[in-house]
Amino acid sequence: MKSERLFRILGLVDDELVEEAVSASPAASKRRRIPRRMLGLAACLVLICGLGLWYRAGGQINASGGADGADPTAGSGGSGHSEGTVFMSYAGPVFPLTALEADFGLTAERTLTWDFAPGAYADGEPRQWGAQVTDRYVLANPSEEDVTVTALYPFAGSFYDLAQIRPAVSADGGEIKTELYAGPYAGGFASAYGAEDPDHDTLNLAHLTSWEQYQALLEGGGYLSQTLAEYPELDIPVTVYYFSDFEAPHEQYPAATQAITFTIDPEATEILSYGFNGMSWDEESGWRQYDYFVPDGVTREPETKALLVLGADIGNYVLQGYENGGCDAGEEIGGVSCTVARKETTLDEALDYLSQEYAAFYTRGWIPDHPNPFDTLSFEMYRGAAAELLVQYGALSNTPRDRYADGRLDDILYEVLIHQRVLYLQFSVTVPAGGSVTVDCTLWKEPSYDFHCSGSENAGLQGYDLVTRLGSSLDFTRQTAALENTEGIEIVRQNLGFDLENGVTSVELSTEEHYYLEVRVRE
Amino acid sequence: MEDSAIIDLYWSRDQRAIEETAGKYGSFLHSLVWNILHSRGDAEECVNDTYLRAWNAIPPARPAALRAWLGRIARNLSLDRWKAGQTQKRGGGAAEVLLGELDDCVPALHGVEKQLEDQEIAALISAFLRRLPAESRVIFLRRYWYGQELADIAAERRCGVGKVKSSLFRTRKALRAYLEQEGVIL
Repeated sequence: MKSERLFRILGLVDDELVEEAVSASPAASKRRRIPRRMLGLAACLVLICGLGLWYRAGGQINASGGADGADPTAGSGGSGHSEGTVFMSYAGPVFPLTALEADFGLTAERTLTWDFAPGAYADGEPRQWGAQVTDRYVLANPSEEDVTVTALYPFAGSFYDLAQIRPAVSADGGEIKTELYAGPYAGGFASAYGAEDPDHDTLNLAHLTSWEQYQALLEGGGYLSQTLAEYPELDIPVTVYYFSDFEAPHEQYPAATQAITFTIDPEATEILSYGFNGMSWDEESGWRQYDYFVPDGVTREPETKALLVLGADIGNYVLQGYENGGCDAGEEIGGVSCTVARKETTLDEALDYLSQEYAAFYTRGWIPDHPNPFDTLSFEMYRGAAAELLVQYGALSNTPRDRYADGRLDDILYEVLIHQRVLYLQFSVTVPAGGSVTVDCTLWKEPSYDFHCSGSENAGLQGYDLVTRLGSSLDFTRQTAALENTEGIEIVRQNLGFDLENGVTSVELSTEEHYYLEVRVRE
Repeated sequence: MEDSAIIDLYWSRDQRAIEETAGKYGSFLHSLVWNILHSRGDAEECVNDTYLRAWNAIPPARPAALRAWLGRIARNLSLDRWKAGQTQKRGGGAAEVLLGELDDCVPALHGVEKQLEDQEIAALISAFLRRLPAESRVIFLRRYWYGQELADIAAERRCGVGKVKSSLFRTRKALRAYLEQEGVIL
C-alpha cells in the first residue's frame, strides 16, 4: 500500500521539522491570560458587589476537579451507582423541597408520584416518554404560632428546556407564584481526546452523569448560596469596535470574508469578539487577526460584529477582504468594505447590548410555534448567567477553560442556554399554628437514557431517580413513592420495592438517600 | 533531565533511562499512538514496546533528537499494530482515514521514475516542507506525522476546521506534484 509506505517515510523527515510541529501547540505554550491589572479590577468589583453575599462565581465548584472530566462508566447497565444504570444522558434526580430558614419547627411528609400516562411529553405524540411527577409535601406546624417559610424547590435542567421542565407549585390546591433562580453551570470540562488524554485539556463540556455528582455539587450549600447571590457586575472599561454597512462582491465570491488585523501587547490587552467566524494570532509578536464572512442577507450569520478591547486600545488596524475564510496571502480581493464605529463604554453595557442581539438572532432562527427558551427565560437571568460564565470559566476567569479561552462571546451566549444547572423555584408558605399545608410541585420529568443508536443494552430504558434529603433543611417524618398509569411500562431495575404484577404501586421509603427506577415501554 | 543525560543512562544500561523517558515523553508518545490506534490497550502496549525498542537500540544508537526518534519508533509500531488489527478485522478507523488522505500525495507513474530508498524520499519531502509557509508545514506534520484529528488541530491553531482541511488539501496536492516532478515512485 503506497500511502502506508508514504506514512512511514514521513516518519523519517528531518528531526527539526518534527520538533517544530509537535512543539507548536498553543494549548501547551500559548494559553491566554487576562492582564493582571484587570484581574485586580475584577477582584475589586467582586468585593463591591458581593458584600454580604457569596460571590456567584467565587466558589469555583470545579476548582478541585470534582466535576471536571467525563464519567468513564457512562452507558453501563446495572453496575453503576448503587447498582442502578449509569446512563449516557442523565436527566438528574428529583430533589426534595427545602427552605431558606433553618430550625423553623415544621415537619414534612413527602409523597412522590410518577405518572406514566402516555402523551405527557410536549411534542404531543401519544407515546410514553418521560413521566408526569407530583412531588407532594404536607407541611405540619405543631407549634402555637403561625410559621412562614421561604421554600425552595430545586430541579435539574437547562434554560433551553425551561419551558418544558419548570414545575408548577400549588398550596392546598391554589396556584402559587414562584420566583426562579438559576445556579451556575453544574458540570465540568473534559479533554477533546477523551479521558485518556495525557494533556487534560478542557475543550469539551462534561455534564453530570450520576446522582453522586449532584450530591457533591449540592452538599455543603455552597451551590445554593451562589445561586441566590447577585450576578457579577462587569463595570470594566472597554473599547468596542462595531462593524456595520457591509459590502462585498458576493456574486463572484460567495464566501467573501473581511479580516481586521492589528498588533497588541498581550500583557496589556484582552480581546473579546462577537459575530466573528475566525481568529488567528501569534502570541509572541502580539499579532491578531479576526475575520467574518461578510453578511450577504441570505446566510444565517449574526449581522452584529464587535470586538471588545479590555485594557490598552488596539491602535492602528488594517481591514482586508479575502476570497474566503482562509484569509490566505494571494487571495485578497477588493470591493469588501464596512463602517467601523469605536465606542468607549463598560463591559456590562456592551454585554447588555450583545446579549439582546444574540437573543434576537437566536429567536429569528427558531422553529415557528415551538417553545423558545426566551419565552420563559428573563433577559436579566440570561445576561446575568452569561456574565457569570465569563467570569467563572471564560476569558475573565483566572483559570479560563480552553473551551472559552479564545474570548468568543458567541460561545458564551449560546452555551449558557444549554448548560446543565440546578434551578430553584422560590415561594413563601405560611403554615397556621397547629395546622398543615399541602404543597404540590408538579413537573414533567425527562428520563435518563442511552442513545438509541449506541448499541447499548440499555437503549430503550428510561431511568428516573430521586434523592430524599440532599440539600434539604426540612424535617421529614415520612417519605413515600408511588406509581400511576403503569399499564404501558415494565420495571427493569429499581431499589424502591414496587411490584406491578402484584399491585404494589406505593412504597414507603426508608433512610436511603437515593432511589432509582428504570422502566421500559411494553411492546 | 536533558536528553543527553537520558541517553547516557541508556548507554550505561541504567534502567532509570526508561523511567526518565516515560516521565519526559510518555504523554507525547501516548498521544501519538492514540491518534493512530484509538485503542487504550493497544496504545499502552505500543508505548511500552517503544521503550523496549529504545532500550535495545541505545547503544549503539545515539539519537540527536530523542523525541522525534522515539516518535518514529512509536509511529511504526502503531502502524504495525494497526495492520495486525486489520488482518483480524478489528482495526481502528483513524489510521485508515490518515492513509486514505495520503493517497492524494502518491505520485502518478510517467515512466522515468526513480526507485529511491525511504531515507532519500524523506530528504526530498523535508526539502519540500521547508519551502512551505510554517503554518502549512505545522498543520501537515501534525496531521500526518502526529496523526492529530482535524478538529484538534483547528482548536490548537485557533482556526476553523475548514481552514485546516483547506491547508492539508493544498499541501497534499503540492506534495504530489513535487514528487512527480522529482520522478519519485512509491
